[in-house]
Amino acid sequence: MNRINLQILLGTIMVLATSVVVLFYGLNEEKRMAEAEEAQRGRAIEQGAALFEAQCSRCHGTQGTGIPGLCPPLNDRYFFDQRMKDVGWSGTLEDYIVATVSSGRLASTRPQLYPGQGTPAMPAFSDHFGGPLREDQIRTIAAFITNWSETAIAIEVPPTPSGPVVGTDITKELPEGDPAAGEALAITLGCVACHIAAPTGPAWLAKDGEPGVGSHAATRITQPDYTGKATTPEQYLFESIVNPNIFVVSGFASGVMPQTYANSLTDQDMANLIAYLLTLK
Amino acid sequence: MLKSLNLQDMRQKAYQALDQRARAITAGLGLNELRALMRGEPPTEKPNPRYKVHTTSFLFHIRPRYYEAGSTILTHTFRLGFFTSFFFFVELFTGLILMIYYTPSPEKAYESILNLLNNVPFGQMLRDIHRLGAEAMVIFTTLHMLRTFLTGSYKKERSFTWLTGVVLLGITMFLSFSGYLLPWDQLAYWAVTVGTSMAEAAPLFGNEINLLLRGAPDIAANGLLRFYLLHVVLLPLAAILVISIHYYKVSREHGISLPAYMEEGNVPPEVKKAARQRIDFIPDLLTTEVFLVSLGILLLVLGVTVFNYHAPLESVANPQVTPLDTKAPWYFWWLQGMLKLGDKILMGVILPTIVVLVLVGLPYIDRNPHRSLYKRPIAVALGVLSVLILVMLSYMGLPQYGIEMEPAQRIIQDMSPQEGAGPLQRLPFEELQLGSYQVNVNEPINMCPNLDFGCPAFEAFFRLYSDRVNQAIRKGDLPAETQAVVVIEDWQKDLRKITLRIVWPGEDGKSKSYERIVYLHANRGME
Repeated sequence: MNRINLQILLGTIMVLATSVVVLFYGLNEEKRMAEAEEAQRGRAIEQGAALFEAQCSRCHGTQGTGIPGLCPPLNDRYFFDQRMKDVGWSGTLEDYIVATVSSGRLASTRPQLYPGQGTPAMPAFSDHFGGPLREDQIRTIAAFITNWSETAIAIEVPPTPSGPVVGTDITKELPEGDPAAGEALAITLGCVACHIAAPTGPAWLAKDGEPGVGSHAATRITQPDYTGKATTPEQYLFESIVNPNIFVVSGFASGVMPQTYANSLTDQDMANLIAYLLTLK
Repeated sequence: MLKSLNLQDMRQKAYQALDQRARAITAGLGLNELRALMRGEPPTEKPNPRYKVHTTSFLFHIRPRYYEAGSTILTHTFRLGFFTSFFFFVELFTGLILMIYYTPSPEKAYESILNLLNNVPFGQMLRDIHRLGAEAMVIFTTLHMLRTFLTGSYKKERSFTWLTGVVLLGITMFLSFSGYLLPWDQLAYWAVTVGTSMAEAAPLFGNEINLLLRGAPDIAANGLLRFYLLHVVLLPLAAILVISIHYYKVSREHGISLPAYMEEGNVPPEVKKAARQRIDFIPDLLTTEVFLVSLGILLLVLGVTVFNYHAPLESVANPQVTPLDTKAPWYFWWLQGMLKLGDKILMGVILPTIVVLVLVGLPYIDRNPHRSLYKRPIAVALGVLSVLILVMLSYMGLPQYGIEMEPAQRIIQDMSPQEGAGPLQRLPFEELQLGSYQVNVNEPINMCPNLDFGCPAFEAFFRLYSDRVNQAIRKGDLPAETQAVVVIEDWQKDLRKITLRIVWPGEDGKSKSYERIVYLHANRGME
C-alpha cells in the first residue's frame, strides 16, 4: 500500500470516527441541555441566597419568615398559594418578585399587618431606580425565594389584640406583668428575630461585658444624648416599644422597628413585655 | 446489432458528458485522471493536467505545484504552520456560527452564553472547540516561530516572511485576547481590565490608548462593543490579509526551507538531488493535507468530548467586585511577571517594546549566514535562554507568586476560590453532611456513619484543609492556637450553606478571624 492510499484509508477512518463521536454526543444533547439549565438554576439560587442574606434578610428574616409589624414572610404557604390571586397579578410569581424587588413599594399593600419602613414601605433595589442590584442579580434573588415554594409552611399572623389597645401615653398605669407570658409574646411578635437572633436591633441579652436590656433601661435615660421623655426604666421600655424613633441607640438605624405596637398591644401585653425585659439584666 | 451499437454510443456520450462536468468542477481533471489520482498512479494525459489546476482554479492557484522532498520531512516543520492556519479556519467557521447566538451588550452577553449552553444543540461543543482552537492557535503560532528560529529559516530571502510572521503572532494574541471579554463573566472582565491597564503604563499616550480600547475609564457597554468588533471584524480581516502575504511568500517565492544539513557545507550530490526532488501538490500533498485536517478535527472533537475540555464560564461580570487571584490570559503572564519586577514603564513598556523590536529585527541582527544549529551556537543558546526566561517570567506572573495574602485567606481561597471550583465545590452534594466541624483537631475518619458508602471525598477535603492549616502553623504563619471551623447548614431545599472560618489570636491579644460563606446547590454541576 503506498502512502496516498494509506492516508486516504486513515483519513476516512478518522472522519468516520469523528462522525461517530459527534453522533453520540448529539444523542445526549437533549439531556445535556436540560442539565445545563438545571445547573444554571442551581447557581442562580446559590447567588440569590448570598444576595438575600446581604440585602433582604434584615427585614424579611434570614429564613424568609418575615418580621410581624414590619415585613411580610416570603417562606410562607400563603405567599406561594394565594398572594398572586389576592393582588390580581397576571404574570408568574417570579416576575412578581422581580417587579417588587426592582421598584420596591411606595406604600404597603397590607399597612395593618406589614407597614414596612414607612415611606417607601420597601426601597427600590434595581440599579435602574437608584438601587444597588442589577437585573440579573434580582432574578437570582427571585430564583432563591421561589425555591421555598415546596417547603414553605403557613406562618401564623399574630392575633389581633383582645380588648382596648395600650396607646402611646407612657405614664399610663399598667397592670401587674407576667415575665413568662411576656417572653412568649416576644417570640410570637417576632421581637427576638432582631433583638436576639440577629444584630438588627440593640441586643437584649448580656454579651461581651455589655449588660442586657433590663440594665440598659435604667442607664439609657440618664445618658446626655437621650432624647425621649421616660423617667423610669419601665417608661423607657414602654416608650421604646410604642414610639421607637424618639430615641435610637447609637449605631442603629431609625425607622427600622415597626411603629404599630401602640395600636396592636393591650395594656396587659405591654405589662408582660416590660416585666420580661426587666429580667434580662 | 443496431441496438447494441446505439447502447455503446449512448454510453460513450454519457461518459463524455460526465467527463466534461468533472473537468468543469475540478478545473481540468477528467474522470480517468481522477481515478488515477485516487489510485496513486501517474498522470493519464499530456501535458500534466494536475499542473493545469494550479492556473485554472482560484483556490489552487495560491498553492504551490510542488514541495521539495527535503522540506516535507516531519521533524523539520512538525506541520506547525499548517496547523496554525488550520486552527484559524476552525476559528472562522465556529466563530461565524457562534455569532448567531451572541449579543454584544453587557445586559445580554452573559445571558446569550447561558442560552447557548442550555438551549442550542451542539452549542457547548461549538464554544468549547472555538476556545480550544484559540488556545491551540496561540500555542502553535509560538511553536512555529520557535521552529523557524531553530532551523534558521528566517535568514536572507525569508526575512520579510519572518516579519509578517511576527505581525501574525501579535494579531493571534490580540484575536485571542479580544475574544476573552465577550462572555462577560468575571474571568473575562477582570482579565481584560488587567490586560488593558498594562497599556496605561505607556508614556504620553497610555491613558488615551486605554480609553480608546475601553471606550470609557472602565470597561462597559462601549468597551464590550469595541472588543467585539475588533474580534469579529478588524482582527480577522487583518489576519486574513497578513496570512495571505505570509503564505504567498512561502508558496511563490522561496518555498519551505530545506533542513540545513541538506543545503549547507559538503552535501553529497545524491543527497542534494534527493532533497530537491519534487513532490507534486496534486495528489500527494493534497492528500496529506486532507489527512491532517481530518486528524485535526478528530483531535479537537475528542478534546471537547472524551478529554472533557470545557471553555470556562464564571459568574457574570461585576465591576464592583474584584475576585482574588485575578490574572491576565496565560500568554500575557510573562508581562505580568515583568511588571512585578520593577518600574511600570521600564518593565511594562520599554522592555516589551525592545523584545518586539528584537523579534522584528532578528534577521538583520543575526548576520551569521549559517543555518545549522551547530554553526550558530550563540543564537541557539540565546534562543533557548529566552524560552527559559519566558517560562520563568510567566510563573512569576501567577497571582500565587509575590503577592502577599494573609495565610488564613490564602488557605480558604485555595479550598474554595471566589470564582471557579475548588476542593469544596467539587464535593458531591450528598456528602456535605450537616454539622459543625473542628478541622485541625480530629483525624477525619468515618465521618458519615449514616451514609451507606461513607463520604470519602468529604474526608479527603478535611484532610487537605487540616494539612494546609497545620503546615501554616508549622511554618509559623499562623499561631499554634489557630482553630479552623467548617459549618454546614441546611439552608433550603437542595441548598446548603457552608461557612469556612479560621480563628487565631492576634498579636494584640484580640482574636482575629477570616471567613467565607458559600452556598452550594445540589444541581450546580461540576466545572
